[in-house]
Formats: sequence, structure tokens, C-alpha cells
Amino acid sequence: MTLTFTLNGQPCATEAPDHWTVLDLLRDGLGLMGTKYGCGEGVCGTCTVLADDRPIRACLVLAAHVRDRALVTVEGLEADGQLDPIQTAFAERGAAQCGFCTPGMMLAAKALLLESPTPTAHEVREALSGNLCRCTGYAKVIEAVLAVASSPR
Amino acid sequence: MSVRLHPFRLLEPESLTDAVDALGQLDGEARLVAGGTALVAMIRLGLLKPDRLVSLHRVPALGQIGVEGRSLELGAMATHADIERSRVVRDGWPLLAEAARRVATPAIRTSGTIGGNLAYAEAASDPAPALLCLDAEVRVVGRGGERVIPIASFFRGFYEAALEPGEIVTALRVPPPPAGARSGYVKFTSRSAEDKPLVGVAALIALDSSGRCADIRLGLGGAAPTPIRADGAERTLRGETLTDAAAHAAADAAAREADPLSDLMGSASYRREMIRVWVRRLLVALRDGTR
Ligand code: FES
Ligand code: FES
Repeated sequence: MTLTFTLNGQPCATEAPDHWTVLDLLRDGLGLMGTKYGCGEGVCGTCTVLADDRPIRACLVLAAHVRDRALVTVEGLEADGQLDPIQTAFAERGAAQCGFCTPGMMLAAKALLLESPTPTAHEVREALSGNLCRCTGYAKVIEAVLAVASSPR
Repeated sequence: MSVRLHPFRLLEPESLTDAVDALGQLDGEARLVAGGTALVAMIRLGLLKPDRLVSLHRVPALGQIGVEGRSLELGAMATHADIERSRVVRDGWPLLAEAARRVATPAIRTSGTIGGNLAYAEAASDPAPALLCLDAEVRVVGRGGERVIPIASFFRGFYEAALEPGEIVTALRVPPPPAGARSGYVKFTSRSAEDKPLVGVAALIALDSSGRCADIRLGLGGAAPTPIRADGAERTLRGETLTDAAAHAAADAAAREADPLSDLMGSASYRREMIRVWVRRLLVALRDGTR
């Protein structure tokens, strides 16, 4: 099938087999390896990307279901050579260790900040509740997101 | 290592009639897909190998949320995220908004739909106990035309809804809760906050001027092979004053009428005890206005 959608701000038209998920489309179809495959069944959150500013599980959503929608992956967080404030905060505060959960964490955080720019710590925890991390213990991740929320823009 | 989905053909009908026809074709197994949060995971795990998926995404207006007369009209393709954010639902049917907010995690709620959740007929559904309390009606369409199924008779057995082959859930009609009713949903998880409920308890209570239960409705998830209303517990409270002792007695009745299963989340006897605990706590909290 032919799919058209917006990918990281650019129009995109591509062919994909019917049974592909968004994760297959990104990694195999478009060679964007930033979005990770963890569990493949919706549990770990490392495949999280944005569709129309809302977080989705790329491993569960069929590619056909993002037709005509706007996708943002970790590759699209940076703009004009400038890191997104979330990326900077993760780097500066040690919120990434092995990094496997990091793309999904940052996009889940981005979705929260787009909807609610000054969240409470509780709201940050809730927004990241579907993103598992084996390394950080979450404290630095939550700090990083709160730091972005409170920094002047 | 990544596991591929077993290949299938995807059909994307643009009307309900075409969707019903596509499901009815006789070449191999067809499955309906809405958000895909349950189905795609099952295909990935190799539990299902359908030849065709029939997607509802291109059927117009199936995700609408509105009010008709005084009832909520909820399109089957409305996602849990749509429902938890809807002003109409939050203002008029707060119990449903609260239950929708407790489904899985944010990135699942943006895809998972209310129609899919009900058709999946899982015992540990979060919205189902709330919809049971609200006396919702489920609208379906199939080759035989349209029909309306009261939610109390929608869940037929373990992962089995009262749908004929080829029938599609199109909408829910939810009557308004009684004026002045208090309601709440508690979800008890035994492993992590975003897990499925070990038990879920929804309650709706309307007290009369002397503090007696004029209306009492209790819905339970994870308490039986399907989501259920706790009729026995409701009977112990109807017309009674909601004292601590009455809440205890109702919780005992709910635990007795429950028919829970054992699984990885917990044993049947643990579930029964947790039903007793959470029914009582929710009733007392609603009475005292502490939630
Ligand atoms: S890979 Fe999608 S949730 Fe784990
Ligand atoms: S940094 Fe290793 S899993 Fe999160």
C-alpha cells in the first residue's frame, strides 16, 4: 500500500506491506533506527513516537493508521542543529545511561510538555508510567523533565 | 530480536456496510481492527494468524462523542484518551472519565478504543465496571442489521462478547447518572501502577435526604470470568443507611458473589479478599466525600 504522512516536519510518501506497524515502517522502510524495538507488545515504551503531538506505541499501531498524520521520532526532536531542550536536559542531568529507553522517554516527555507545559512531578511520573528503564532508577529522568518545564523559554 | 507480524491483508472500508461485507467474505479468517492495542500484540505473540484485518479507521464519524437527548453517545472508535479529555464526559459522566484515565498507559490510551475494549471482553477491563454501573447500551451492526445490547448482557463468558460472527460494535449510549449521584472507580494492581487491574471496583451511589441509599450500583472487574455487576452487594444496601457496618456487609456480599480466576497477577482467593477490601473502602470514601 502507498502511505503519505508527515515525518519530522517533512512530507513523506512511501510503500509499505499491509502488515507493517509504524515501527517496521520507521526502521525497515525508512532506515530511521532511533526508535527502538524492545518488547514488541506495548509494554516497555521504547518505541514511543508522536502522532499529531500525542504519544503512540509504534510497535502496536499499524502503519496504515498513521496515514495523513504527523509523526515525530527522536530524529525529529533536533531542529536546525539545535537540540530540543528535552535532549539537552537528559544529557546534562545524566538521565540516560545505556540509552535504550531514552528515545521513548524523551518523546513521552515531549508529549506531556506539549499538552501541559508546567506539569507537577506527579504528572511527569504518570506521563512516563509506560516507559520502562533498567538503568536510571527514573529519578534523573523525572528531574530532567521537570527542569525543562521550569526553565524560561 | 524483533519478531515480525504474521502477514495479513489489510482492508480499509469506508462505510459500515462495506466493513460488514468485508468481515463476511469467506476466504480464511478475518479480524476487525480498531486501535490494535490488543490485536496486534496477539498477532505478534503468534496467538492469532488472521488472513485479513478489516480496519475501522476510514469509516467516518465512528469516534464522535456527543449528547443526544440526555444520553451520552459515544462512538466505538473514541479512544480512552479522547474520553478522559472530553469535557462532555468529564462533566456529565465523571465515572466513565475516571475509568478511562486508568486504562494502561498514556501511549496506549491514545490508540485503544472503547469499542475495542468492550468487544475484547476481558475480565480486567477498566471501563467495563463503570459502564455496567451506568447501564450503558451497546449498539452493534451486522449482516442482520442493527441491534442494541444492554451492557448487563453484553459479556457472555471469558473473552467472549455477545456478538454474532461479523457483528461490529458501533457506539454506546450511556444514560445520565441520577441527579446528585456520587461515583468513583478504584483500580488495585498487584505488580505496577500501569498494570491491568487485579480487581477494579466502580460504584455509583445516590443518597436520599435521610442518608439512605436510594440508588446503589457496583461494577467489578477482575472478579469473575467477565466484568460483572455485584447485584447481591447492591441488594444489601438498597434503602439502607450507609454505615460502616453496612459497607462491611456489602463488601462481604461482593466477595461472596465474585467468582474470580487465578493468574499471574494473583490467586482467586487473594482477588476475593481484595474485592472485599476495595468495595468497602470505596463505599466509605464516597459516603464521606473523601475521594
Ligand atoms: S517495543 Fe513497543 S512498547 Fe515495547
Ligand atoms: S537508560 Fe538504560 S534502559 Fe533506560
